[in-house]
Amino acid sequence: MNKKIRRMTELALLTAIALIIFVVELQIPNLSPVAGVKLGLANIITVYAVYRCKWSEAALMLLARVLLGSFFSSNPSALLYSLSGGTFCLLGMLPLKKIIPINRLWLCSVFGAVLHNLGQLTAASLIMKTAAVWFYLPPLVLSGCIAGALTGLAAQLVIKRTEKIK
Amino acid sequence: MKTKAKKGLVLAYILAGVLFLSGALGTLLLLMPHKMNIVQVLRDDQILYTVYINAEDERFIRIDYGDSYNLLEIKDGKIRVSEAGCPDNTCVKMSWLSSSAPIVCLPNHLVIKFASDYDGIDAVVG
Repeated sequence: MNKKIRRMTELALLTAIALIIFVVELQIPNLSPVAGVKLGLANIITVYAVYRCKWSEAALMLLARVLLGSFFSSNPSALLYSLSGGTFCLLGMLPLKKIIPINRLWLCSVFGAVLHNLGQLTAASLIMKTAAVWFYLPPLVLSGCIAGALTGLAAQLVIKRTEKIK
Repeated sequence: MKTKAKKGLVLAYILAGVLFLSGALGTLLLLMPHKMNIVQVLRDDQILYTVYINAEDERFIRIDYGDSYNLLEIKDGKIRVSEAGCPDNTCVKMSWLSSSAPIVCLPNHLVIKFASDYDGIDAVVG
């Protein structure tokens, strides 16, 4: 019983951290005029979870964070976009874990971020029923690569520092 | 590491590089200043207005959508969203339409873009 409770607490803590990062990041104004370009800092936790937790735990944490995040942000309709982006991201990173070693985690995060943006674009094109949103693919792929690399590096550092705790 | 996994890793690096380069190139192309004569305003893939922006004098178009709205401004052969009721106002921040990148207001399902040849314009309103 002790182990289960401890595990649940760890996951809850990680989810809370991801949620706070997400909420704080919402307050940062958009740097570029392109819609949807953001730092995605909460994905640091997601990428960490992909490498340090079971896939089911990572998925549940993401779902919880996305749901709670949509309540805390003033924009509940963004939920669909977050869900779609997060699903694409996770579905891509989990299999990539097998070929990308933990010390190259940032590479996995790059794909995760790009897939996240792809997921959001897909949701947008379905909701708005237009193909015009795909014009934004190039800048979103680019920002995904850069942001993904940076958040991946951050996650790598976190894993390095917390290796001893496990 | 086994060779198959190592091959996979190299492929992953290459793919990431390709993504990065194509993203950079695509973005440059997209944001190159580029204007055309015809602007389309669409909502959910339905054309609301087709505007010959060089033929217009200063003009405002207010588009309502539920509780929200977008106020389009046409001036000197350019168009932009000068005001909007959406929470983030990304559409307003995009300023004048000047490249292939459309102005999009996601909450209001609004798209403003230059019409290209593939759009098959056969009817013009306004």
